[in-house]
Amino acid sequence: MTLRFFKGRRSPPAYFPGEDIQETAGGRMDTANRHAIETGRTRLIVTGALFMAAFGIVALRMVDVTVLKAGQETRHAGIRHSVELHMQRADIVDRNGVALATSLPTVSVYANPTEIIDAEDAAAELVTALPELSQAEVLARLRMDRSFVYLRRNLTPRQQYAVNALGIPGLYFEKSERRVYPHGRTAAHIVGLTDVDNNGIAGVEKTLDARLRDFRDPLRLSIDLRVQTVLRNELARAVATFRAVGATGMVLDVRTGELLAMVSLPDFDPNAPASTTAEAMFNRATLGVYEMGSTFKLFNTAAALDSGTATMKSGYDASQPIRIARFTITDYHAKNRWLSVPEILVHSSNIGSAKMALDMGTETQRAYLGRLGLLRAASVELPEVGAPLVPSPWREINTMTISYGHGLAVTPLQMVTGVAALVNGGIYRPATLVLRDSVGDLPGQRVLKPETSRAMRQLMRMVVTEGTGGKADVVGYNVGGKTGTAEKLGAGGSYRRKSLLSSFIATFPADEPRYVVLAMIDEPQGTKETFGYATGGWTAAPAVGRTIAQIGPMLGVAPRLPAEPQEPGMLHQAAANGSKLASAQ
Amino acid sequence: MRTWHLDSTRHRMTLGRKLGQVSWPLVMLLVMVAGMGFAALFSAAGGSLDPWASRQMARFGMGMAILLVVAVTDLKIWMRYAYVLYALGMALLVAVEVVGTIGMGAQRWIDLGFIQLQPSEVMKIALVLSLARYFHSADLYAVGRPLFLLPPLVMVAAPVAFVLKQPDLGTAMMLLMSSAVIFFMAGVRWWKFAFVLVSGLAAIPLAWQFLHEYQKKRVLTFLNPESDPLGAGYHIMQSKIALGSGGLFGKGFLQGTQSHLNFLPEKQTDFIFTMLAEEWGMAGALFLLLLYVLIIAYGYAIALRSRSQFGRLVGLGMTSTFFLYVFINIAMVMGLLPVVGVPLPLISYGGTAMLTLLFGFGLVVCVWVHRDSVVGRRGGDDG
Repeated sequence: MTLRFFKGRRSPPAYFPGEDIQETAGGRMDTANRHAIETGRTRLIVTGALFMAAFGIVALRMVDVTVLKAGQETRHAGIRHSVELHMQRADIVDRNGVALATSLPTVSVYANPTEIIDAEDAAAELVTALPELSQAEVLARLRMDRSFVYLRRNLTPRQQYAVNALGIPGLYFEKSERRVYPHGRTAAHIVGLTDVDNNGIAGVEKTLDARLRDFRDPLRLSIDLRVQTVLRNELARAVATFRAVGATGMVLDVRTGELLAMVSLPDFDPNAPASTTAEAMFNRATLGVYEMGSTFKLFNTAAALDSGTATMKSGYDASQPIRIARFTITDYHAKNRWLSVPEILVHSSNIGSAKMALDMGTETQRAYLGRLGLLRAASVELPEVGAPLVPSPWREINTMTISYGHGLAVTPLQMVTGVAALVNGGIYRPATLVLRDSVGDLPGQRVLKPETSRAMRQLMRMVVTEGTGGKADVVGYNVGGKTGTAEKLGAGGSYRRKSLLSSFIATFPADEPRYVVLAMIDEPQGTKETFGYATGGWTAAPAVGRTIAQIGPMLGVAPRLPAEPQEPGMLHQAAANGSKLASAQ
Repeated sequence: MRTWHLDSTRHRMTLGRKLGQVSWPLVMLLVMVAGMGFAALFSAAGGSLDPWASRQMARFGMGMAILLVVAVTDLKIWMRYAYVLYALGMALLVAVEVVGTIGMGAQRWIDLGFIQLQPSEVMKIALVLSLARYFHSADLYAVGRPLFLLPPLVMVAAPVAFVLKQPDLGTAMMLLMSSAVIFFMAGVRWWKFAFVLVSGLAAIPLAWQFLHEYQKKRVLTFLNPESDPLGAGYHIMQSKIALGSGGLFGKGFLQGTQSHLNFLPEKQTDFIFTMLAEEWGMAGALFLLLLYVLIIAYGYAIALRSRSQFGRLVGLGMTSTFFLYVFINIAMVMGLLPVVGVPLPLISYGGTAMLTLLFGFGLVVCVWVHRDSVVGRRGGDDG
């Protein structure tokens, strides 16, 4: 064809460019026609050249982008800062930074009923996208004489897509956020809850509501989620084993007053607030006030030793029950003999404790209990704090019953805080749920002499090695503690033998205490394995022991070989005292 | 090639004779390109004939039939009915304004039931035919008269205005540019083109105000795609990434990650070249480009060989339209032109463009079959 084209160069004239320019028949070619033909050819060449140039450019570009890769895009993407989410509420994290509460951006769908064209139709369609809504209720809302009604809060993206796809005019989405608790029940009583408008209504969420709104950085609690989980598991196991109605427990750092764990069973799922019950919401650790029972003997003994009315070598006659007014004070583990002060604690003698209390007097007792924070509501970052039930007037009989933990009801938190002061060298520090900034400047006041504290450690250790708390011992951790078994007050104001509040409060390591651990089981039922016993030593002490065995390594407490006790003389002396007194009888 | 000599019986060739005259090499080139298209669509569907490749094959079959029918129809008939076709095309363009189905936010097609007829596609052919007919009977002196150029200018402006209103910037540009090629080939003076070009450039700021928001965005994005990599610049960024990731020989058939993982939008239509280049690399893409060049060169050669001005202008017009398709699409996916939604001819999934192109090539082949016909001033056998 090219050949043919070049032949056309010698073509005869055409009278207009449309006709026969390639005619090879003879003829003249005038200037005009030649001009026309040449114009045509020039233009063909120009057009063809332009097209080829265009293809050339495309081909070059092709090589450029595929092989030379000299495209405009850089080979390395720059760091693109993601748009930061601005949440209204700060996160709540545990002491190690694990999220306990966080906020998710969500949308809520609302309607402007005045803009809804066909409410019935809209309601029917909405229910197809959001099946959990009731059509009648949606219809009622859409017919309200208002310009703003919420239809559903906190849609998932999929739900939002479905609602949007309905294309109903008058429906709108509102950006909102939803509080999410990644660990659910585990720390439910501590963290608390928010309502649909994200206002804190329970727990730290309520107490520190302003802090959570005003500052964006996460609120760091003193809680250690690992310890919390261990304690909750052990208490749940105890509740299941002993068919108890509930339980509570805490782990407190005796040096700082920080709470590492606080459990109250039953608990609730903060992610499903609608399904909670009042009982599940009740925080036994801080809101419940209980007569603690024998664990209170620790305070009694400490007060007696510190005030000097008794020494480790003193002894009291516990051979006869005390009859006062219409009451009779008896011993559960009755020895029916003289008991030394250590023995009173180790064998949990009510009679001995009452006599010790009488020795020190009501005023001294009240002063010590007051200093140990047992007569006023605990201060902790929770709204659910119960005030203790303090007897008024405080008679002698009260002094005697309080010595072994009856007649004065306190919260478990007060108990734990008080015991921490007994073992940490005698300094009372209020408990806290928020991580302390620096260990240097701690609030606290001296309430006991250091010697008293040292004696209390030894006594608590003896309870475990010799007395009722044997099941709480953990090899290597020198657990010290005290059992408590209180009869719960019935509806008619009388004590019920079968309704017990069994507890164990421990500290470890006893020679240099770091932590206080409390476990309290509400109405445990004895099992075959416990020979029917439901006392603190059989129910709460094993739970504490298992807890310490697990959290000790987590908290970096080095286990020690069970070599000799710290001050063998003291222990032997006490034991010798006991046998001497026994033989004396 | 075997019939250079003047054949007095040319005008009355039998059907068999005409089929023998069809330029089968050109048809083969078209089949090769379409074959690459089928493979690409097969890959785009993740290695399945459904939903694209099978339908595209059916359409291509239909298109080839149309091509042959168009090719054996006498060139004079096309000339005779050129204006009728144009009138029909205009009528459809007006109709689409009135009863057009809304598709992708623009009213562009009429639903005929079995096919969605796109009047702007009809116009691509009708306009070329009409302009060719108009200039067929014009000598250089006439072409030099401004008044003589007025009717064809109106002929171009009317459909362009309607297509712009649809709005379909890409098609409007193609109509304008292929018309410009015919004007140029018909011998319109250089300075007139220069005049139009200059005034066109001067009108850009004015025209800017009439562009749709999305069109403005496309142009701005073209000028700086990195300004909005997740929004309007997304297409072109992803396309370039895909092209670059293909490298010299590509990732292999069915192995294109950019396209199969849906980073690349419109991978079966406008951006199919990108997918092809990603899977087959620069080598495959250049091979396709070579096929296109051969087709266009063939079209040109046929146009040059035509004895009648009408045939020449039709051949040039149709080949230029084809060229514009190829060039705009490829330049677009490589970021040389703004994204205007022009398909890659014979490859992109889509029925209308395929039929239009094969109809157009039917005309080109027709010009070849009737290359020695003497076409009179009014489409008759003689002057």
